[in-house]
Amino acid sequence: MSDVIDLKQFLGGFLSETNELLRTANTNLLALESSTAKGLPNARSVRELYRALHTIKGLAGMVGVNPIVDLAHALETVLRAADRGSGRLSRDAIELCLKAVKAIEDRVNAVAKQREVPPAPARLLEALGQLEPVAPKEPAVSGTLGIHAELHAKLAPAELQQLADGIAEGSRLYLIEFLPSKARAAAGFTITTVRERVAQVGEIVKVVPRSMKQSAEAPGGLAFELLVLTRGPAEKLAEAAGTPVQELAAQQPAAPEPAAAPAPVLADFDELSEEAEPLTFVRVEVARLDDALSKLSELIVSRFKLKREIAALGERGVDTRALLDIDVLYGLQLDDLRAAIMRTRMVPVAELLARIPLLVRGLSRDTGRAVRLEIDAQDAELDKAVGDRIFPAIVHLVRNAIDHAIEPPEERERLGKPREGLVRIYCNTRASNQLEIVLLDDGRGIDAAAVARRAGREAPQTDAELLELLATPGFSTLDQATTTSGRGLGMDIVKRIVTMDLRGDLTLRTTLGKGTSFSLRLPLTLTIVDVFLVQCGNEIFVVPVSSVEEIIEVEPAKKLRGPLPPTSRGIFLYERREEALTLVELSTALRIAPTENPAKQGLVVRRSSQGFIFEIERVLGQQEVVVRPIEDPLVQATGVAGATDLGNGQPVLVLDLIGLSVGLHRTQPRTEVSQ
Amino acid sequence: MSVLHVAFKVGDAEYVLPASAVLHLESFAGATKVPGTADSVAGLVHTRGQVVPVVDMRARFGLPPLVRSLDTRVIIVQVGTRTAGLLVDSAREVLDLEAESFRDPPELIEEQSMGLIKAVAQTAERMVMLINLPKLLGEKSHAK
Repeated sequence: MSDVIDLKQFLGGFLSETNELLRTANTNLLALESSTAKGLPNARSVRELYRALHTIKGLAGMVGVNPIVDLAHALETVLRAADRGSGRLSRDAIELCLKAVKAIEDRVNAVAKQREVPPAPARLLEALGQLEPVAPKEPAVSGTLGIHAELHAKLAPAELQQLADGIAEGSRLYLIEFLPSKARAAAGFTITTVRERVAQVGEIVKVVPRSMKQSAEAPGGLAFELLVLTRGPAEKLAEAAGTPVQELAAQQPAAPEPAAAPAPVLADFDELSEEAEPLTFVRVEVARLDDALSKLSELIVSRFKLKREIAALGERGVDTRALLDIDVLYGLQLDDLRAAIMRTRMVPVAELLARIPLLVRGLSRDTGRAVRLEIDAQDAELDKAVGDRIFPAIVHLVRNAIDHAIEPPEERERLGKPREGLVRIYCNTRASNQLEIVLLDDGRGIDAAAVARRAGREAPQTDAELLELLATPGFSTLDQATTTSGRGLGMDIVKRIVTMDLRGDLTLRTTLGKGTSFSLRLPLTLTIVDVFLVQCGNEIFVVPVSSVEEIIEVEPAKKLRGPLPPTSRGIFLYERREEALTLVELSTALRIAPTENPAKQGLVVRRSSQGFIFEIERVLGQQEVVVRPIEDPLVQATGVAGATDLGNGQPVLVLDLIGLSVGLHRTQPRTEVSQ
Repeated sequence: MSVLHVAFKVGDAEYVLPASAVLHLESFAGATKVPGTADSVAGLVHTRGQVVPVVDMRARFGLPPLVRSLDTRVIIVQVGTRTAGLLVDSAREVLDLEAESFRDPPELIEEQSMGLIKAVAQTAERMVMLINLPKLLGEKSHAK
């Protein structure tokens, strides 16, 4: 049995690592594609790709998924040839590589879902095997560029080309020799940080580890040589590397000299990765973070208990001032700890959006629309759980934009717009723990009148009303003229994900002929929520504070049955400040025995423009809780968002009143029909 | 080849589950009922930092409810990625059963149990029924 568990844990690591490598692979393939389009070689992307696939192959081999090994191997062969040769891939080769990476992705997904992994597609492997490497251009580089022979021998033609091109474009070539040591690591200089910092001021062409005699300067007996191109001052580079740099070559290349035979560069990858420096990053399974969070929730609960006990002591006349001081401090420390744990769960939005360019590429090919995609996520971050849920909605909006909004290139030219349509995604970090993701296009805009005609409704007057109409369940499916959009979710699902699942906000702005923008305002994190403790019947539930507009005392005289049929038990009309609200007895909605107590309170919630009052016994208090989603199909119920623990070990349900109000709607007509 | 099984009682019959599917056993102190779910779902319980649904096996087998006693147990099981609890009258034994000792259940029994019984085995002194766990947990909640 323990074997099985070990394998499972290992699979988790395999999946997360492989997915990250696949993202890297896709990013580099797209980068290669754009340099190929410009007729430029891109040795760095070829090498990054090779590195990613080489690692994927190794990982897949360890877990014994041979179809992935086969695919990665075939890709590796193509890339090795490209690296030794020209640093280029032909368009066809890039197309095939994208297909093969997709095939790997599909198989990784199969592993994740514990399904049988299909064999590698034979035709794809064959096609990869038959690719002819692009012939290298005559090396325009002659001369050593001042690089010492040992290092020069390790440079591939493509790298030499990259160096020569860089120098021709006005960069200077520097050699940095970095000697790792404990003292340097303590000062923050490891090969990893040096690479990162140097990459910000220059272009790293090559990093080669070299063993050397142990000395005070090089206690590890190891040196790294970095070849860097930069236009900036040498001091900047020296500062980034924490060590002096040596200028090798600038504009006038050295006198021609026969180049040494190029050695394969790829051989030293493994060597490189084994010389790993102390790590600055660790990969953590999300389950472990969740575990830390649940431990934290237990702490929050015990603080709650402690607080109660202190209050009880106080009531008995004990002087509790010192205890209260400690409690305040305890509270602040818990807040800090919570913030620290939440930070570990944050993922960069840029990473979340890394798959969008690939999607756009496919869509623009399928639809014949020319699309320029701009993504500017800055350094915005989101909780992993929020990111996972919002991604399908973003995909849908991107699909819609390309499918419906962006006009065909000829039409755009006629309209005096650039041939390429623009799809832009950017982020704004907002106050109060919210992030705004905006998705805009410069396409044809949404024709409100046409939408209204199709829905058989009156034309909406505002963008908000238009969005309402578009998000009517089933509306988007009316228009499945194209295959691409038909596959996606409807606008109603997008709205549901943003506003109900994530308790965020979705807005629309559109101008006919000019374009459309959607703004998604999302909470940065989901899990810790400020809630009201409410009593309903004799049971206790919690309701997120953010969903409640107001708490009111229900006046029985204002509850009107009106013309409602007897089937709509527990539903009343309630007049409040000259507004007619729907009052729902929560006990009836949840099928709980109500109490006899006539004095009830009500929670006012609002769904779009409709107001609801949920009648409860009373509000008992307010506190922060950790919400655990309820995912098992056995216990999925409308209006129940999750469960939490208030300290007695018994789960307490977290109610989603807005969801519950939707549920009432849907079942109501059915009950009437059955009468 | 012999396989370890956890044995438990519901009503007057005895059932087994492979020990590899069982995470641990707990005593039962009540569950939080989730409105709108099936009657056979006793509700949610907290166990080792997780919230898991508990299936009331008596209700699932159509037996009248029993007053909970000190013997009442929740068997926490794992099926794929799902974790769930089974509320049973008692669970006290681990049996080492030969794989060959399992037989298909009699047709009528299989039919009447709606496929919940996968096999029966005769041990030294009595008969035990092997539960079809995915089938048992496969039902969806009634709420839409």
